[in-house]
Amino acid sequence: MPTHLQAPLSVLIVEDEALLAMDMEAMVEDAGHRVIGEATSLFDVEDLAGDLRPDLAFVDIQLARGTNGLDVCAFIRKRWTDAIVIFVTANPLKIPTDYAGGHGVIPKPFSRNGLISAMRYIEEGVCDPPPVSPQPASFIAAPAFLARWS
Amino acid sequence: MKQRDDWHLTEMLDYDHGRADPFAAAVRATRMPMVITDPAQDDNPIVFCNEAFQQLTGYDRDEIIGRNCRFLQGADTDRDEVAKVRAAVEAQTDIAVDLLNYRKDGTTFWNALYLSPVRNDAGEVVFFFASQLDVTERVQAQRIIAEQKVAVEREVAARTGDLKAALEAKTLLLHEVDHRVKNNLTMIGSLLRLQARSIPDPAITARLETMLERVDALATVHRRLYQSDDVTRFDVGAFAENLISDVVGASGRHDIEIDTRIAMIEVPSSKATPLGLILNEIATNAIKHAFSDGRAGTITVRAALDGNDAIIEISDDGKGLPEDDARPDGIGKTLISRLARQVRATVLWSDAAPGACVTLSFPVND
Repeated sequence: MPTHLQAPLSVLIVEDEALLAMDMEAMVEDAGHRVIGEATSLFDVEDLAGDLRPDLAFVDIQLARGTNGLDVCAFIRKRWTDAIVIFVTANPLKIPTDYAGGHGVIPKPFSRNGLISAMRYIEEGVCDPPPVSPQPASFIAAPAFLARWS
Repeated sequence: MKQRDDWHLTEMLDYDHGRADPFAAAVRATRMPMVITDPAQDDNPIVFCNEAFQQLTGYDRDEIIGRNCRFLQGADTDRDEVAKVRAAVEAQTDIAVDLLNYRKDGTTFWNALYLSPVRNDAGEVVFFFASQLDVTERVQAQRIIAEQKVAVEREVAARTGDLKAALEAKTLLLHEVDHRVKNNLTMIGSLLRLQARSIPDPAITARLETMLERVDALATVHRRLYQSDDVTRFDVGAFAENLISDVVGASGRHDIEIDTRIAMIEVPSSKATPLGLILNEIATNAIKHAFSDGRAGTITVRAALDGNDAIIEISDDGKGLPEDDARPDGIGKTLISRLARQVRATVLWSDAAPGACVTLSFPVND
């Protein structure tokens, strides 16, 4: 059983569309969390400062410089073993059934409502499981993530 | 030996029969080529052949009598089929096979050979009787059919391959377009949200937020359509449930409960966007007004299907209808009335004391 995290969560945003990254950053902060880093490719993630400690990462699948979110997920899970990885993608079908070690997916196009509902549910799931909110339609949890509290 | 002496030979078949034996006469005169062989003699030679056999093979009687039947075989005769005949002779059983045989002039014919042992009263095999039938036309017809079948199958496989490749290309294109539409919708939402943040006037921000909710509703419609297996149908019931949970969830109001009883209501995809926008106006209006004074409550969503008629009810136990601001006004009101007309829907506001109830009814198919 992983130790429970405390809100506000430290969030990493891995997204190569600048506008979407800005928008997500604003929404993450609206939801009461902290964005501690942004990256547009796997290389950016690898170059992040060593003292960063993300609790939660939102990861797009198609990234800059020919890299992809599945590799980013593997890297994050290795470097920050307790970090929660949520894919944010317009192509959820590209995610393997085991979520490649990730914890869930928010399909694009996301809405403000959908993203904030998803964030609340994830926060409840990692800080004070089980979540009191029902799983929102905007978020599909990986089976392994659900198994943490069921 | 002359043809008119045939009857002498048939006497060998059964000495009990006289010269006028009708069976022997029939064998001599039939149009069916026939031979009789004698297994008691070395190499089972032919001891009788009728006129039809000579006509079929092109050999004269004296070229036939005394030889084993294999003299009809040639380079392209199937050795396996010949082996079956040999095995049947050894086993003293009958056999029917099609053999490619050769005439005296070297031309070939397909011979439907039927061979059977002839036994005496003691049950011993004394002769083999063989009838032949020229089935060249039948075998050639079968071969042509088989060749045509192979050709047709090859053609079908090639066409199927082409169609599969075309379908794959179309699917790839559809995925690509879907991906772009989604990214653009996400981008439109992000642009509007970023703009809304930078405007200090709360009245304008509120309007931009309302615009955003509409764009979000469009995005949700698109996402649900392309996540499903069938992009031509859209489940409005599931969409309504999805919408309410997103709207309530984002409001952060843990004191608003959601109660849903949803039937699947599949409409043609052309109706997805107008219905999605109408439901969005109703749902966001309900959240904004029913519980605006901070009271707790429940939003109830019912979706039911009766034949071709769908009914979606969104009700609350909030402030109720007498409130001046309980119904959408301005563009929201216009959107609902114009879009409702487009999909032949009726939208009815009623007092549900406590609270209000909005009933959306529409035909699933026109």
